[in-house]
Amino acid sequence: MLGNNKHWIKAFSLGLIMAMAIYFTPGVTSDAIAKEAFAEQVFAEQAFAKEVLAEDDAAEGEGETEVEWSQDVFYKDWEGNPLKGPVSGFPAPELGPSDYNNYEFAPSRMLLWVANQQHLYFGSFVLAVPIFCMLIEFIGIRSKEEDPIMSAKYDRLAHDLMKVSLTAYSWTAILGGILLFTFITLFPGFFKYMAGIFRPVMHVYALMFLAESGVLYVYYYGWDRMKDDPFLKWIHCSLSVLLNLIGTVLMYLANSWATFMQAPGGIDSEGRFLGNIWHVIHSTLWNPVGVHRILGNIVFGGGIVGAYAAYHYLTAKNEEEKAHYDWVCYVAMFICIFGLIPLPFAGYWLMKEVYAFRQQMGITLMGGIMAWLFIIQAVMIGLLFFAANSYLHNGMSRVKGAHRYMKYCKYMVLLLICCFTMWMTPHTIVMTPAELKAMGGAQHPVIGHFGVMSAKNTAVNLMITTTVLCFLLYQKANKRITVPWQTVGNCWIAAIFVGAAANIIFLGVYGYFLPANQRVGLSVPQVTTTLTTLFAGTAINISMFKDSESYGEIQWGSQSKVGTYAIFLLAISFTWLMGLMGYIRSAVRLFWHVTEVVRDNSVDAYTLTIGEAGKMLTFNTLFVWTQFVVVFWVGSLTGKKVVEKTADAVPVPAQQ
Amino acid sequence: MNKTLVSFLVFVVGLAVFHNAIFPIFTPKEVGWVLNRYVYFLVFIAYLIITHLVLRLKAPIALTALYVWSLGFYFYKYVLFPPIPWTLFITYMVMWSIGTFLFVSQDPETFRAFRKPIVKTIVGEYKFAQIIVLIAMPLLVGFATYNVIYPSYQEPVELRTVHPAPPATTKVHGKTYPLESTNNPFRIDEQDNYKDSFPFLDADKHEYMKYVTEGGTIFFQNCHYCHGDQLNGLGMFSHVFNPTPANFIDPGTIAMLQEAFLFWRVAKGGPGLPNESTPWSSAMPPWEEHLKTDEMWKVILFEYWYTGWHPRTFGTEGSVGE
Repeated sequence: MLGNNKHWIKAFSLGLIMAMAIYFTPGVTSDAIAKEAFAEQVFAEQAFAKEVLAEDDAAEGEGETEVEWSQDVFYKDWEGNPLKGPVSGFPAPELGPSDYNNYEFAPSRMLLWVANQQHLYFGSFVLAVPIFCMLIEFIGIRSKEEDPIMSAKYDRLAHDLMKVSLTAYSWTAILGGILLFTFITLFPGFFKYMAGIFRPVMHVYALMFLAESGVLYVYYYGWDRMKDDPFLKWIHCSLSVLLNLIGTVLMYLANSWATFMQAPGGIDSEGRFLGNIWHVIHSTLWNPVGVHRILGNIVFGGGIVGAYAAYHYLTAKNEEEKAHYDWVCYVAMFICIFGLIPLPFAGYWLMKEVYAFRQQMGITLMGGIMAWLFIIQAVMIGLLFFAANSYLHNGMSRVKGAHRYMKYCKYMVLLLICCFTMWMTPHTIVMTPAELKAMGGAQHPVIGHFGVMSAKNTAVNLMITTTVLCFLLYQKANKRITVPWQTVGNCWIAAIFVGAAANIIFLGVYGYFLPANQRVGLSVPQVTTTLTTLFAGTAINISMFKDSESYGEIQWGSQSKVGTYAIFLLAISFTWLMGLMGYIRSAVRLFWHVTEVVRDNSVDAYTLTIGEAGKMLTFNTLFVWTQFVVVFWVGSLTGKKVVEKTADAVPVPAQQ
Repeated sequence: MNKTLVSFLVFVVGLAVFHNAIFPIFTPKEVGWVLNRYVYFLVFIAYLIITHLVLRLKAPIALTALYVWSLGFYFYKYVLFPPIPWTLFITYMVMWSIGTFLFVSQDPETFRAFRKPIVKTIVGEYKFAQIIVLIAMPLLVGFATYNVIYPSYQEPVELRTVHPAPPATTKVHGKTYPLESTNNPFRIDEQDNYKDSFPFLDADKHEYMKYVTEGGTIFFQNCHYCHGDQLNGLGMFSHVFNPTPANFIDPGTIAMLQEAFLFWRVAKGGPGLPNESTPWSSAMPPWEEHLKTDEMWKVILFEYWYTGWHPRTFGTEGSVGE
């Protein structure tokens, strides 16, 4: 099915392990670790407090100033009382007209929005590409002995991606500089406060960039030199791990500024820093935002690489090139879909934490002024799933033996559409008074039931399960299974999916009969059920491939145009969606720079209409894609010569 | 006879017969488990499938796509009842159209077969079809333009925020209540047998039920005119209001909210809605001007008791009470 199935099985297993780690580690360990860590923290803080008090006493004796203690706005001790800390900073400023600057041609807020969003887009891309390169290079190394041609192909792909990433990296830094200057020049009062709180974090961030750049340059420029020696190659691959680690730390540090603004901690109600920088960084939304962004980056990066390959596939001049880019499209989409499947769950976690922080914020998002943006989000997510499934359906047609399963595609489409209809039915319907009367009330007696989370959770889980099923069928499309237990295996897969669907639907319906706080809890078994289909279904499926015969090679280079365009749809939709969700997360602070601490007193402290927000999002999407085109073009300038020179040495794309 | 034509006739004639002759049978005044419009729709689909199987008809993919799309249109326009608002209808049809497109483009062969008649029509191989399209297209555009330009006196659609975010605190009768942490003072020794017991018979036995009963009395003296005697938002005055009174039975209203949220809404009513709830057209009076604080809490207690919902809580302790 793939270039080389064994390698992909390994890659998939690795991916599964990583995904499981991402999911279960926080769930399994967070409570225990959190309690232990908290106990340690409280102990340490108490010790620290005693020390400070002792110093105070001593100081008092010497006639020095007394240390003031204040209550944290978020952190609490074991008894639920606000944690106290020594006041170590100045109070949040009451911002006035002199704290805001502006240009004549555009509101400051819009300029900042564009600068921020562009930097974030590029940041996502340059953080995602090293993850791809790490995986692809690892697969290349592992497959070298069995299949040197494929190995070289993987290596070339990883190298090509890194080349583009290098250009994008400089671009990201430039955009970061623009963002910084935009903050300093247009919002000096606010930035001064943030810089006062995050002073050490900002310096560490800048130093981490040095480390990132150093590792990146060694990784990229040492590629050819470290390619042939097996030991050096492993060292090289390890560098990619290091690169990703540094990149992740960078992202988390930058996230802390945004999560602090939305849900602050480590300060008192006047905005004074209470001496513990970890509290400021590790505010309540820090972890969910981090996980959500990692997964989002993977999908975004996959979408961009996929679109890049899709463009080259459509414009390829010979069969060899077509086959290569078709394969690259597949690799990118594989990674993209792999990130897309768990993404909604990370989103749920984030929303749960938002609700837990402030009920008001949750209501504003899900039922209040932002609710319609969430409906648009639902539409965009539906489009992503449609695009992914359309790509898989069309991709099957170039796999010999797939005709056995393609007849099921239409039923999967039907299920997707029905679920999507449920998923995006709003609780509050836009209607005229006449329509309202005709309907007999604000809630429709039939579709009104789809407006609550029980229905929506059910719908999205079924959509994901359907996508997983589609992927399993894709996997086994060209396999003639020969293991003696194939009937039992198939029955197990069928039972898992039927059971999962029944369980998801049952839990969805059951949710209507439960109190709201318990109903929310049902999403956990629903998600677990969905993930079970992913992990157990894939495991059984792959186990059945042992000694399987092939119906024929995958005809790389014969992907249909519709399937290829689906990649563009996915990439563009995801870019827009990223912007939308970023806007929602940020705009929910309403008239606060830092929630309930620093009020936004600028003339821009208003909530945009849906139409205006949509225009800005579209502009940001078009703008970033224009830049991506330029970056890819710059990246291709050196590539063309290399390809021409080494045309004979470049392995023919796999035809198996 | 051409099998494609037969298939088309089976669909068109079948739809006409079903809609005019069989649909009224399935839509009696007393809707039952069998005689209802949704079963009718399934019966019609079964008719289409069975007829095609028996007559061995296999419609070309373009025609099948037309059937699929039309069935969606028919369902949303005529079968689904009460009729859905126009905005939702358009949204659903866009979804259904995307689904139809996914159906025809699921592999290159079906997509090629789907495009074939369209291409042949455009290039003129299907002369008759081309003429029809060339006549119909301008007419359709003209009709759409006419519809857009023709003056309409319908009230514009409203995009209301039904659940506005509550303020951090609310001041009622001189006392400030923090909404995040305020609980109903009468939710004590709560009995969880909402549906199986009749409260007024054993009201004296439980203090909790006594408060519920008192809340019910206040509700029927003040609230049921709009919110209905079944709390479903269909009180005797409800039809003259826009927005209509809240339906407490619906799982998307009080079931999703904290009691303190209800307290704020009951006390402040329409005039106390925040900025985001523009155009503030709710007819709900600010009940703090007519009821005592305790009375408002008791009404809220009754609303939850009657509907069987538990108020929203964010802790594991749920609604066990204080």
